[in-house]
Amino acid sequence: MFEAVLLKNIDLPDGHLLATYEAGGGYQALAKVLREHTPDEVVELVKQSNLRGRGGAGFPTGMKWGFVPKHADKPKYLCCNADEGEPGTFKDRIIMERDPHQLVEGLAVSAYAIGAETAYVYVRGEYVKAIRRLERAIAEARGKGYLGAGVLGSDFNFTIHIHCGAGAYICGEETAMLESLEGRRAQPRLKPPFPAVAGLYASPTVINNVETLACVPHIVMRGPHWFRSIGPDKSPGPKLYCISGQVKKPGLYELPMGIPLRELVEDHAGGPLPGRRIKAVIPGGVSAPVIPRDGLDVGMDFDSLAAAGSMLGSAGVIVLDDSTCMVKVATRIIEFFHHESCGKCTPCREGLNWVVKVLRRIEAGEGAPGDLEQLDKLCKGIFGNTFCALGDGAAMGLRAALAHFRDEFVAHVEERRCPFH
Amino acid sequence: MVGITIDGQRLDVEPGSTILQAAQRLGIDIPTFCYLKRLPPLASCRMCLVEIEGLRRLQPSCATAVTDGMVVRTNTPLIDETRSSMLDMLLANHPLDCPICDKGGECELQDMVVAYGPRRSEFRDPKRVFHSRDIRLSPVIIMNVNRCIQCQRCVRMCEEVVGAVALGTVEKGMDTAVTGFEGSLASCDQCGNCVEVCPVGALMSFPYRYKARPWDLAETDTVCPHCGTGCQLTVGARKGEFMRVRSKEEHGVNRETLCVRGRFGLDFVESRDRIKRPMVRRDGALVPVSWEEAGDYLRRSLAAVENRAAGGLASARLPNEVLYQFQKLMRTVFRTNNLDCSSRWSAPFDAVGPLLASFYTRAPLQEVIDRDCVLVIGGNVTEENPVTEYLLRDAARRRQAGLLMLSARPSRLDADARLVVRVPPGGEAASLAAVVAGLLPSEALADIGETTGGEGPDRLVAALKEGRSVTLLVSVGLLRSPEARATMQQVNNLLRVLQLLGKEVALQFLFDRANQLGAWDMGVLPAALPGLRPVADEATRSALGRSWNAEIPSETGSDIDAMLDLCVDDRMGLLYIAGTDPLVAYPDRNFAKRALGAAGLLIVQDTFLTDTAGLADVVLPAAGYGEEAGTFTNNEGRVQKVRKFREPAFEARGNLEIFDFIAALRHQTLLPSSQAEIFEELTRLVPAYQGLTDDGLGSDGAFTTAIPTPPTGVFFAAPRPPSVHDGLVLVTGDGLFHNGYYSERSEILNTVAGDPYVELSTPDAARLDLSDGDLVVVRSARGELTAKLKINRSFPRGLVFVPENYRALHLNGLMRWGEYPCPVEVQRAPAISEIGSHAPAVGGKNFGQGMAGDSL
Amino acid sequence: MSMREKIRQAAARYPDQRSAIMPALLIAQQEHGHLPGPILEEVADILGVERIWVYELATFYTLFHTEPIGRFHLQLCDNVSCMLCGSEALLKHLERALAIKTGETTPDLLFTLSTVECLGACEMAPVMQVADDYHGNLDIARIDALLARLRAEGAQAMSADVAAAAPPGE
Ligand SMILES: Cc1cc2nc3c(=O)[nH]c(=O)nc-3n(C[C@H](O)[C@H](O)[C@H](O)COP(=O)(O)O)c2cc1C
Ligand code: SF4
Ligand code: FES
Repeated sequence: MFEAVLLKNIDLPDGHLLATYEAGGGYQALAKVLREHTPDEVVELVKQSNLRGRGGAGFPTGMKWGFVPKHADKPKYLCCNADEGEPGTFKDRIIMERDPHQLVEGLAVSAYAIGAETAYVYVRGEYVKAIRRLERAIAEARGKGYLGAGVLGSDFNFTIHIHCGAGAYICGEETAMLESLEGRRAQPRLKPPFPAVAGLYASPTVINNVETLACVPHIVMRGPHWFRSIGPDKSPGPKLYCISGQVKKPGLYELPMGIPLRELVEDHAGGPLPGRRIKAVIPGGVSAPVIPRDGLDVGMDFDSLAAAGSMLGSAGVIVLDDSTCMVKVATRIIEFFHHESCGKCTPCREGLNWVVKVLRRIEAGEGAPGDLEQLDKLCKGIFGNTFCALGDGAAMGLRAALAHFRDEFVAHVEERRCPFH
Repeated sequence: MVGITIDGQRLDVEPGSTILQAAQRLGIDIPTFCYLKRLPPLASCRMCLVEIEGLRRLQPSCATAVTDGMVVRTNTPLIDETRSSMLDMLLANHPLDCPICDKGGECELQDMVVAYGPRRSEFRDPKRVFHSRDIRLSPVIIMNVNRCIQCQRCVRMCEEVVGAVALGTVEKGMDTAVTGFEGSLASCDQCGNCVEVCPVGALMSFPYRYKARPWDLAETDTVCPHCGTGCQLTVGARKGEFMRVRSKEEHGVNRETLCVRGRFGLDFVESRDRIKRPMVRRDGALVPVSWEEAGDYLRRSLAAVENRAAGGLASARLPNEVLYQFQKLMRTVFRTNNLDCSSRWSAPFDAVGPLLASFYTRAPLQEVIDRDCVLVIGGNVTEENPVTEYLLRDAARRRQAGLLMLSARPSRLDADARLVVRVPPGGEAASLAAVVAGLLPSEALADIGETTGGEGPDRLVAALKEGRSVTLLVSVGLLRSPEARATMQQVNNLLRVLQLLGKEVALQFLFDRANQLGAWDMGVLPAALPGLRPVADEATRSALGRSWNAEIPSETGSDIDAMLDLCVDDRMGLLYIAGTDPLVAYPDRNFAKRALGAAGLLIVQDTFLTDTAGLADVVLPAAGYGEEAGTFTNNEGRVQKVRKFREPAFEARGNLEIFDFIAALRHQTLLPSSQAEIFEELTRLVPAYQGLTDDGLGSDGAFTTAIPTPPTGVFFAAPRPPSVHDGLVLVTGDGLFHNGYYSERSEILNTVAGDPYVELSTPDAARLDLSDGDLVVVRSARGELTAKLKINRSFPRGLVFVPENYRALHLNGLMRWGEYPCPVEVQRAPAISEIGSHAPAVGGKNFGQGMAGDSL
Repeated sequence: MSMREKIRQAAARYPDQRSAIMPALLIAQQEHGHLPGPILEEVADILGVERIWVYELATFYTLFHTEPIGRFHLQLCDNVSCMLCGSEALLKHLERALAIKTGETTPDLLFTLSTVECLGACEMAPVMQVADDYHGNLDIARIDALLARLRAEGAQAMSADVAAAAPPGE
């Protein structure tokens, strides 16, 4: 049986309180780094652990931290990406609601490592409960000297501010998040300069996901080798999987990186609903291309899923069974991206609008010959040409649906109706 | 340098250059929409994507820096397909209403589709429609959101270049729309730069709307007549009728930008306030006559005043050739140096002359402000010289120039300044003296006397010490003050001290008249001959005299103040006024009126029927702006061609022709007499203009060159500190929408300017129990006026500002010559009264197309 | 604390006042229910930022409302996971029960019905957010119970409002 680390406190009734967290060994990592390690050594530990970002892109966290210039005359910032907008994803919410101190400690250790004295946690505005619990945790931690001026008697000063989002998926994209934090419309920024060099207020800034930061204290306490021993070496660690959709036991699961998708869905999440068969699984939030039933033996880690033509993304696993119309799912997903497109670049803004119109027509049984080719062409025009990865995600997902389930699309066009109705 | 290969051609470029810039240098065309040369790249339209060897994805060439050895391709099938696909997507929701679109024929989207576009589109779903009627954002700007392609050029122009931050982007994704706060631009600058940069027909000029098709317009490149910045613009006329103004990206100091006056304020050429025929005074009234009758009348009256003094006053809005000929006429035919070229102030030439000779920098503004420190002294550059302000903002934001402001009036540019020193009105000279004292080593202080520093000047000293190069930009408004001489002397001191400290210095004036520097250069001054050489200088006098075949009087003449004194003393025989309206502009209306009435013979030669013309004995209709060719010299010392785009209206004659006519009445001829020959003569006789040729004034004009003479003599002593005045003082000047004479004859400017107003600080308003929009009375020892109150949060206590050039307000009726700033009281206007009889109803006028069919 | 004070306090978290526009709008919306033009102007004024910047943000983010909405904003998630778990039927039911269409507000100004993108609670799909609370694992019976509770709460609150607005009785 795999030992839960990140979700250790999740089912405790007072998991969100400082006392519970401390009782389980909380804030010892912070004390340890302040006592025993220089910031550079902490960066080194994280590099050795091979921790990769849990926000979606899987970028090596230690390497990202390493890009922050050592000597800058500007303050440095740590931003926590708690915008969690990727459909099918809810892990960060659960951490913040039920074990917020884990994030607070992760923030403090990480800020110490990169030399930041201020962190902003960008939480999506809908997460009211998470925000309240996080606020309370910050206040408690400040009261105990884990935050504030001279943390635990050291010369490390650290403040955490919460910034509430207001309902825009694009704020999860890290540079759009910075724009949003600066009080602008959340539209992605050009890179370079990269945030590590010139991010928030043009200062060196590190942006990390909630789960990524939550891993850091455990790496400090148990060592990088422990972390690397779990799952594939290049993509290791304990991992939170969000399982939802047409499955018996939806929920949040902590299991090793690289666990086969089939095992995750069929064993841990109990498999399909009675009388149903799994038709396909979206393994990493709706940006991740769908994997048809016969591809489920893939390992749930960044590299294996990429090799299989999909991605781990946010590990939001959505299970679809055979009662579900793929055209409908694809349409709904594209509607989502269309609705959330920030509007900055032409292919995403205009292209997705066109795609939505065609898909809706097909789904409604009003498709025409040539529509599918038009969709292929639009995907080509969008993919790789958008400003940020939102447009890419949309095009990739649609391409996968068109490739794996083309017959369903064709049926809609030819029969001029949805065969599932 | 880094080497790049594009489509097989190799090129070395500066590090940091983008692929797009490199391609442009190779003449390789890459299509763009969102790219704006003067701003950092946005890279959102994705039209400029190119292939880079070794990279999987296409990259935006506008935003990708060249790296050494980079190999780029811009002409592959994949790129063709991608460009076509971008256009296809843009067109999917574009209304394609080109036949009724103002932009049809000069639309970048249209052009792009022709060049790269899809031959046919598969799009067959209903299009997005934001609205069925265009949205009237302001009196001059109208929007069709359906046509917008979201390039964001307009919004970035408004925020980053103009600094108005009036336009913005609302909603997101497909609903994204460009608009103003709550859908209105009613309180923006109305500069229309957003309209200019719009590649499609989304933002449009309302006055020009549906008026013409681009291919029906005759376009003439010329120079804006409104201020000394000297922006290049292109006038579009149809059969001699003025239609619109545009600007070109590549040309002039302005490079595509204009302010509201340049873009929308040229309709004054169609003003009905024209002088149609010559007029002479008979039995107390002006009656229209023929040119011959006017000649007879003049011959007689000129003879009658022959033995008394003569004087000439010309507008600094007239071209160089006209001004040059005017002073020649006055000096040779009427044998006088009584000359001036401003009705609002007289330049103390003993202070201004040496300052200009030693320091005036005749070079592109762009270069002059690309320095460590740029100190702007006096005035309000945002309102007086808006396009200069845009460049200053750019220098401060993107070029690391440390912008320093020293003035009584706040301006929007303060926000971009490293340091703002607010001085009491009239206190500029004393503050500058303190700065000079702060920069000088203390033992030198004895020389120039004691000065009181203060926090502002001290910080200015520190900032100036830091820079290696310093540029001073001096508002001409400082010449209004009785302290003008001292102010100019202190500017001189400051430049000398900076020079002694080893700094590279530069100086330009911020003139509010289009050809003020030219007017000075041409010698329309009592103490200076063409080339700013003193009248007292024997050698110059005789050299010019030889060329002009006449003897030039040797004594310094009278400036405007002294000329009016001569009139009042009944000693002025002839007062010859060309193109200016001293009755409205002279800072003492009562005195001006008395003086003008007392001149023996008052000739007014003008395009418009001014208040002054109403007092004249003879009124001569002259060609207006756009009706005669010539040159202007702008603040940079750049000589640019002002071109003719139509014939003089009614019986008006060219100014030069009228001078010939007058000279002939005195049995003399002014040779040469054509504009081209006069230009040629002045390039021989005016040193700074030597070497200029007509051909050489290409599309960007050419620079005059003066050889700086080293400053002579000791430092000027510090002035007395200004007498402290507890009460309110009135200063005046240009507003954004009005800078005189021309602007008040522009219907469009009148519409956007709205009613005249009185500006006051928040604490003063509170003390007087006044709130924004209240009608207030401003009262001086001389008179009073009533206007609406505008509270300005950044105004200093004690300052009252009323914009000039609302003719009917009779602002100069409050002022007395020599007393500026003018002490005043402000109070709430009595509740029910005949007020408003004063205030002209200029706001809300309709013009052009009616508002019908457009929702405001 | 007045709205102005709350906004000032929130603004202290940032080195640049422009950053505080979003928190300020959230505060203003809590006070006023929605964000009409004069409120946007006030926010701009308090922070000393350009009005258009405030307007841009008030329209960009879906949680801000420039138009009035009902006392209870029913925000049903209809993204993939919830859709797979039956949100469509629930939406139809809500429209019928409230006699309005999605996007509309009931005439008594009690309910506004919207569909929203993923609420980040797919483990309890289908989910609906009302005010600060998430209601998960919904079915028609639960929706009916929730509506009944909200109606009662609303009626109570409204009579309290009326009482507060009425002149003191004899
Ligand atoms: C359109 C889009 C949406 C994203 N949304 C999120 C999100 O909600 N949460 C998140 O942590 N990362 C999100 N990301 C990824 C972030 O840009 C960024 O990679 C991540 O926050 C970095 O943190 P990590 O290295 O710890 O993963 C998103 C990226 C894109 C392109
Ligand atoms: S792909 Fe373009 S329009 Fe879409 S979200 Fe990213 S930047 Fe915005
Ligand atoms: S010009 Fe490069 S993306 Fe628009």
